[in-house]
Amino acid sequence: MKAETPRQFIWVLLTLLSHYRRHPGQALAMIVGLVTGVALWAAVQLINDHARASYAEADQLLGAEASAWIRAHDDSGVAPADYIELRRAGFSTVYPVIDVRLRSSSGSFITLVATDLLALPLLAGGGSTMANPFAAASWLPMIQPPYQAWYPSALARQLDIAPGQQLQLANGQALPPALIQTQAQQGQRIFMDVGAAMAVLQRRQFSYLAVGHLPPAEQQRLAASLPPHLQLVPNHQAIDLAQLTASLHTNLTAMGLLSFAVGLFIVFNAVRFSLLARQGSLTTLREMGVSTGLLGLAIVAESLLWALLGTGLGLLSGFLLSQQLLPAVATSMQSLFGASLGATVSLQPVQVLVAFSLTLAGVGLALAMPLWQRARTSIRHSRSAPAQWQQEHAGVKRMAAVALVLLLVAGLIYPQIDSVVAGFVVLGLVMFGGALLLPLLVQLSIAAVATLLPQRHWLLRWSVSDAVAQLPHLRIALMALLLTLTANIGVTTLVGSFRAALGDWLQTRLSANVYVQSNTLDLAALGQAQWLAYAAERFGSSQRWQDRPTTVRGLDVAAPDAQALLLAQGNPADLALWRQGDGEPQAILANEQVHFLGNQLLGSLVELQTATGLQTFKLVGFVHDYGNANFQFYLPNETLLKLWPQARREGVALWLQGDTQEQATAALLQAGAKPGEWLLQDEIKRVSFAIFDRTFAITAALNTLTLLVAGLALLAALLAVHQQRLPEYSHWRAMGVGFRQWFLIVALPLLLMIVVTLVLAVPLGLILSWLLIHDLNVIAFGWTMPLRWTWVPVWQLSGLTLVIVFATLAVAVLRVRQTLPDALKQLAGNEG
Amino acid sequence: MTTTMLTLSHVSKTYHQPDGDITVLADVNLHLPAGKTAALLGESGSGKRTLLHLVAGLVKPDSGTIDIAGQRVTDFSESQWNTLRCQTLSLVFQQYHLVPTLSVLDNILLQARLAGRVDASLQQRLVDALGLGALLKRLPFQLSGGQQQRVAIARALMHQPRLILADEPTGNLDEATGQDVMRLFVELVQMTGSSLLMVTHSREMASYMDCRWQLHHGVISNVAALDTVDTGDTGSVTNHEG
Amino acid sequence: MSSAGSRLLVTKGWLRQKLLMLSCACGGLLVSAVALAESQQPYQLLRGNPAGYGAVVPGKPIELPADHLPHKDYRIEWWYLTANLQDAQGNDYGVHWTLFRQSLSAAADPGGWASNQVYMAHGALTTPAGHVYEQRFARGGIGQAGVVLDEQGHFAAWLDDWQLRGEADGPLPGQLVFTVAGAKVVLDLQANTPWVLQGQNGYSQKSAQGQASYYYSQPHIRISGSLQQHDESLALDGVGWLDREWSSQPLAPDQPGWDWLALHLDDGNALMVYRLRQANGEHWISGSWVDPQGQAITLGPAEVVFEPLATNPVTSAAGRVRDLPLSWRVALPAKGLSWTVSSVAADHWLDTAFPYWEGPVRVQGSTTGRGYLELTGYE
Repeated sequence: MKAETPRQFIWVLLTLLSHYRRHPGQALAMIVGLVTGVALWAAVQLINDHARASYAEADQLLGAEASAWIRAHDDSGVAPADYIELRRAGFSTVYPVIDVRLRSSSGSFITLVATDLLALPLLAGGGSTMANPFAAASWLPMIQPPYQAWYPSALARQLDIAPGQQLQLANGQALPPALIQTQAQQGQRIFMDVGAAMAVLQRRQFSYLAVGHLPPAEQQRLAASLPPHLQLVPNHQAIDLAQLTASLHTNLTAMGLLSFAVGLFIVFNAVRFSLLARQGSLTTLREMGVSTGLLGLAIVAESLLWALLGTGLGLLSGFLLSQQLLPAVATSMQSLFGASLGATVSLQPVQVLVAFSLTLAGVGLALAMPLWQRARTSIRHSRSAPAQWQQEHAGVKRMAAVALVLLLVAGLIYPQIDSVVAGFVVLGLVMFGGALLLPLLVQLSIAAVATLLPQRHWLLRWSVSDAVAQLPHLRIALMALLLTLTANIGVTTLVGSFRAALGDWLQTRLSANVYVQSNTLDLAALGQAQWLAYAAERFGSSQRWQDRPTTVRGLDVAAPDAQALLLAQGNPADLALWRQGDGEPQAILANEQVHFLGNQLLGSLVELQTATGLQTFKLVGFVHDYGNANFQFYLPNETLLKLWPQARREGVALWLQGDTQEQATAALLQAGAKPGEWLLQDEIKRVSFAIFDRTFAITAALNTLTLLVAGLALLAALLAVHQQRLPEYSHWRAMGVGFRQWFLIVALPLLLMIVVTLVLAVPLGLILSWLLIHDLNVIAFGWTMPLRWTWVPVWQLSGLTLVIVFATLAVAVLRVRQTLPDALKQLAGNEG
Repeated sequence: MTTTMLTLSHVSKTYHQPDGDITVLADVNLHLPAGKTAALLGESGSGKRTLLHLVAGLVKPDSGTIDIAGQRVTDFSESQWNTLRCQTLSLVFQQYHLVPTLSVLDNILLQARLAGRVDASLQQRLVDALGLGALLKRLPFQLSGGQQQRVAIARALMHQPRLILADEPTGNLDEATGQDVMRLFVELVQMTGSSLLMVTHSREMASYMDCRWQLHHGVISNVAALDTVDTGDTGSVTNHEG
Repeated sequence: MSSAGSRLLVTKGWLRQKLLMLSCACGGLLVSAVALAESQQPYQLLRGNPAGYGAVVPGKPIELPADHLPHKDYRIEWWYLTANLQDAQGNDYGVHWTLFRQSLSAAADPGGWASNQVYMAHGALTTPAGHVYEQRFARGGIGQAGVVLDEQGHFAAWLDDWQLRGEADGPLPGQLVFTVAGAKVVLDLQANTPWVLQGQNGYSQKSAQGQASYYYSQPHIRISGSLQQHDESLALDGVGWLDREWSSQPLAPDQPGWDWLALHLDDGNALMVYRLRQANGEHWISGSWVDPQGQAITLGPAEVVFEPLATNPVTSAAGRVRDLPLSWRVALPAKGLSWTVSSVAADHWLDTAFPYWEGPVRVQGSTTGRGYLELTGYE
């Protein structure tokens, strides 16, 4: 017997697999489920890993280390002479960097980074990818007019720049001819030679100097060698970025896992159908003396094959997908956190292994329940339908019981949510609880409808009873659909609410008409012009607080925006105190992030590093500060300048009298500002929304893809159901059931089930968006906003779902028409 | 010289239902010599199918013993049963139970392959005798009922079982086809030297067998131990009454 | 001639990087392809078409001190110092410091950030503990590197804080200061003998096809200085050799590289000999014999024997093993002199952007002595 097992195993496996040869549709459903699940998950995983790897390199620039920066106290830049002096003093790991945001004439904001590739301290084993300029002919075109600007290909596409083209800037300048190529850690930035950048942008200063690795003694010597207007600032970017973006990546991971779960639902569905269709063959094999153990082994081998296939194709598609999604993520990272992501994603062996294990676990899970049922059924009963029927019924109840437990656990955990992960756990429990509850709800709805129908509507009664026949086959697809509908409604509501909150916030925050950022503007020269209603200057000073990048910002308290300042928390009396620069200790405002991420309450005392040492402030209010990953405090300008005399100018906001924009710009030019140094309110809003939309582009993409996957699940399930019931349908037709009656019998219950699913998706979606907005968002980013409900996504999703349902029905109609003659013949043959 | 293929001694089986116990078999004794064919006749609900399931190991008796090919199978574990099914038994059903996704040829060879004894000349003889030569590449659903049953028979014989258990093998076929199939079946069983126990409600079909037993309310009676000429042991039925 | 040609050899790693870049960035194809072509033919720079650059012609006199300063109209140029030193205990030390200059185009130098001048410097130190080296690059025009007469009219050649400063309008007498691997080398350089004009009055022919350079040397540099490391200062003294050479095309197409030797003999004489290896095996041999007073005679293939005795395996930092001729036989048959020259230590491979072997040697034979050996163009 033992010796015969391998041979038996092979034949059993081949017999099992012959199913897919005859039913390629089910094989396709398996593949689609596996591939979509793995692909979406893998894409997110790849992007996350890639992003994390990029953060780890954030203390490097173009292949060189930047463990610290040398910056001017007021951040006004570093003169080349100071740089050369440091090099001549032996600090050969110091190199110049120009790192600026530019505005193109079409209004896009782009980051440009420039350095001297020849001066970069080369890293062991890596270093600059630039050809050694001592030998390379590529050096001169970079450093001599017309120069070169290097674009990563994704950025070039985004800006619609072809090789050789010059990007026009808003201030009338033009960047050098484009070259599509990238340096290490260039990210989604344009790269230029630092000398070329100074010439093209008419700068006389570097943004800062980067400092490669230095032993502590050398670092001390460097700090001591700096002229008084420069300071050595440690580069915390690698740590900061990892910290700041952790939540975002958790978000992405959650979406990836959701996609994976939905993919598994499809697989689960497909496995069920394939096992159901092969039930007869399985019994036949058992009658031939094949043990359940060997059958189980063959089924495990089959799942292994599927997992291998699914992982392979899934990873491949995930890799391709990640390449598509990466530019959007990279742009988000750049605009939100200033993080530079490289242009190419690479697949690591560990990811392959994890994907394979996850898929195998998934397929195993999908197979476990049917197998377990199979093992418990005796050969004698395995061919009898009623036993299965009862199992289905018991299954629905069991699922509902599990659902209640999940929801209960979610309710218990909810008050203790303190991390993004815990938040997602609650979220997952609620969603899966809801999904598991669905079959029972559908069953109850069908029962309710059945009792409501009058006896004489025989066709409707048939239709409803048919629902009972369809439900077991559809429930998994319905659950997958519910999950994605819920996720879609929830996330759409989140994004919509966020967008609305951002709009409202920008409305009050950006009340000035023109924002000027100019080193050459003589504010006094504007004087008391007719067109000018008010001019407010802003100042800022950076430091680290709670080990996070933090800005203390100075506001002109008399300016219209500061007058209309809305507090997210705090009382107006304290705000008056703050405006006067009073309070004991000094009153200070902070952004919400300080409250939620910095764990500070109204009235808390915070210590900040001022020019004269640590000083204590009292928090009297929190303001919204959407999109800021860092902490921010606000003081009246006078107070700020008293405490931080070296605070940098952060621009001037101008409120105009009526429609005097042209007068204003002319006056600005006269007062010394250069074209392109000011922004109009509308432009800032437009750009803000553009950044917002791009940031949520990946969310939208994943959302759509997940819905697509669920649509496929439903499609596959319905097709399988119809396929399985074709003889039955043919039978009906043979009995004289007309097409319209058939449609009624089949479509009505289906619609009933879909409606129940949709109806359940709405409250679940609402709960999901509530969790996302009121808990996860606050924990992750530290900003609050009101939830704004709209029915639009619900209608859109309903429409989409119905389209899928009718499409499958149409396919079923066609198949019935095609196969009716055959089926009738078979009926005749069997019964004759 | 003849040996005994199947012996049932004092076998009883009662199903416990909420509305009372149903005794399906009551102290049944029978024995089937090797190489002989037997029909088990009975009305619906007479217990004939339960008896077949007992012999196939799908149901366990409440009391009594069953011996197949000299082995006491009543105490068999599931894995012993699997071995026995794989090596010794073949089942033929009214519904054919072909694997719908395998071709006719693969279906015919399936059990023989599992048991590891594919005999090419036997295969050829069976295919020729059953007239399946032109159908080997087809799938079961492309065949008529009679053709499918012939495939099922070929599969059962291909495996060279010592005992074939058949459950109304011609029940799904029209009378003429049924008779054709049955004639072939019996001829081939005799050709391969297997024993056959067939459940049927048709006296017509039972007439092809060496012996016929009648089951009535769980009690068995010997309808015709031997109404054809036979010299050897032709099997017997005894009831507890006598 | 000590030289830069071999330094244009490109490491495998660099090549790999280029290939990677090729495969990653299609847009960068052109630039990468150019660089790749250069990397595959490392000598292209030294063989590059000299059209537009200054031509090296016989008969043009070397004019000092003017010729100590850069000749921007010539493609390539170097200031090259090697030194054999000893501490108070008699332990041997070696120093090798070079500043290379290149004009990337024959056009006039626009100066500033757009300057077509690039500088490269190598600093290497041999101590009883081993061999350490560094390379640095800088562009000209911005003050990070250069060779000039400073405000006081003193000679200054530097890259970052590495510098060779003269006390007057030439590099000698002067001071070399550089740091390598955390060790600071400060050497005071003195010479009383005249500069030696190599070849025909400084015109040094490199092949029969007309490749040549301007080449002069100071073989008799007396050095005292210090090595400062870990807050300790170690006094060193010894002898040094300074080469000055510039050209626009110093290599012929069929010359894969060269071997160069500069020896300080204990009797006060100095000997320089090099051979440009030629594809046909008939190597181009040239040299000079300098007596203690600095009087030199030029040696041709008929006067000097310069041939390898044995090769030794040398492992680069990247792990590649090359068999290099680290033992040589040098002879002046007419004077009846003959020496065996061997490296002090084999591990002197410089895995710089342009890799080569350069290290101190010991001389045995007719007289004893020490010096420096340079081996270039070994793939």
